Amino acid sequence: MSSSSTAVRELQRDLENKANDLSKLQKDIAKNHQVRKKYTIQLGENELVLKELDLLNEDANVYKLIGPVLVKQDLAEANANVRKRIEYISAELKRLDASLQDLEEKQYSKREAILKVQQRIQSHQAGKAKA
Amino acid sequence: MGKTEVKGTVTSLSSMFPAEEAQKGAKRVEETLLEKQNEMNQLRDFIADNTSLINLVQKLPDELHHDIMVPFGKAAFLPGRLIHTNEFLVLLGESYYAERTAKQAAEILKRRGKSLESKVDSLKAVMQDLKAEASFFDSTASEAAEGLVEIREEYEDESSTQRVSQSDPLEQDSPSFTEPDNTMGASEDEEYARIMSRLEELEKEELAAESYGDDDEDQDNSPAESDGDEEEQTKAVFDREKNKGYSSLDHDQRYSESRKPLQQSEGKDPMKEEMSKNYHHQDLINQLACTGLTVEPVTKGKMSHSGTMPQDTKMLNPSITASAPSEKKVKFAVEHSSRNEKSVQASNSGFDGSKAFTGSIVEHTESMEKNLAHQSTTSSQLSGSQPWKPVSRFKMQRK
Repeated sequence: MSSSSTAVRELQRDLENKANDLSKLQKDIAKNHQVRKKYTIQLGENELVLKELDLLNEDANVYKLIGPVLVKQDLAEANANVRKRIEYISAELKRLDASLQDLEEKQYSKREAILKVQQRIQSHQAGKAKA
Repeated sequence: MGKTEVKGTVTSLSSMFPAEEAQKGAKRVEETLLEKQNEMNQLRDFIADNTSLINLVQKLPDELHHDIMVPFGKAAFLPGRLIHTNEFLVLLGESYYAERTAKQAAEILKRRGKSLESKVDSLKAVMQDLKAEASFFDSTASEAAEGLVEIREEYEDESSTQRVSQSDPLEQDSPSFTEPDNTMGASEDEEYARIMSRLEELEKEELAAESYGDDDEDQDNSPAESDGDEEEQTKAVFDREKNKGYSSLDHDQRYSESRKPLQQSEGKDPMKEEMSKNYHHQDLINQLACTGLTVEPVTKGKMSHSGTMPQDTKMLNPSITASAPSEKKVKFAVEHSSRNEKSVQASNSGFDGSKAFTGSIVEHTESMEKNLAHQSTTSSQLSGSQPWKPVSRFKMQRK
């Protein structure tokens, strides 16, 4: 009698731990989503900038706002910078995608584990009720 | 169907989708819809800002300078003057600025407006989807609340159920009734094989008949009889074919189709038989009329040979017309194929082509060229307004 109750208690602790893990995972996923959203917005902005830069004349003056000052920049340099930034962002997005998939898989398996633990607790309780 | 067993299952919709759950789902969809609506409003604000900015940018260079109140700090303004009204620093994004004129700036802004509009369009589509989803959830919730039931029944194929019902021995005795429907492909294949074997048989018979006919013709110079025999033979064969149950249109077509490749694959020998058998004269005439060979002067000595030809064609024609329509179809198909082959041969080499119709005129190979000429003359006459007149003329000349 006492052994079964300790077993149930252990299972419940296990369940709690797993639930915590799951909520952590879900938080990570939400964070991932947010970061991804930010990056996609940046990507769109950069692409817009690139388009505009392509449309500019060779001798147009381009400035970059660094802190409180506008620094004059070469058009070609600005173009290259923007391209590099787009590349970086795309790579980052890809990475985020991969990690998101990983996280979702983990979440799924966690959920399964939690379900199993819950079933075991239920069976224990049923056994107790019979006994 | 008259079956008493229950095939379907009945489940109440509320047991699968409880009304509260459906309502919860509907609420969630509504929320996302509201979110999208806010986004849409924001986008519309952007567009309005953008258009007003475009107007301002276009208006500014109209004057050399503008007297304005310059904001100074949070609450103070001081009077100022706007000069260089045609020079703009446009923020391109990502803290990049470009020096532009008013016109160029306006262009940039217009492009920005366009991208905003495309965003609005895509958002609209998303919102429409969400609306549909929301209405679906709503209807599901209301249906579940009303206590609707879902009836599910396994779909069963008509024929399969029939087969199952035919399990008693009496009906198993006649499987041929159901077979054609169910195993169409297999039976067709089988039939095809049967037809092919029958064809081979026919070819053999033709070969035998051919040799026989040749012998006959070697003796006789006017081989109307032998040709007629052959004609009858083939006719009999075709009749047998018909009696076997191949009389339906489909099968005839199949037969003629399968016949063509067979002939082509077997080389020239069967072709020769085919030609010499029944149609070679007519074929030749037709073909010659088509190819338009040059007509050479006719010598009387050769007339007698060509004289046999019209007789043959005459013999041939009634038999064709007398035969059953389905049969005729086959014959025409064969004739057609042989004619095609013939023309190919003729164009390839004149000698081969002329040899191809040697069935009844084997003995005249030495005067092939002239024979051709004769026939071409007849053909040219035949192709005239009165096709059968020359026959009688030849006959007269022969006599």
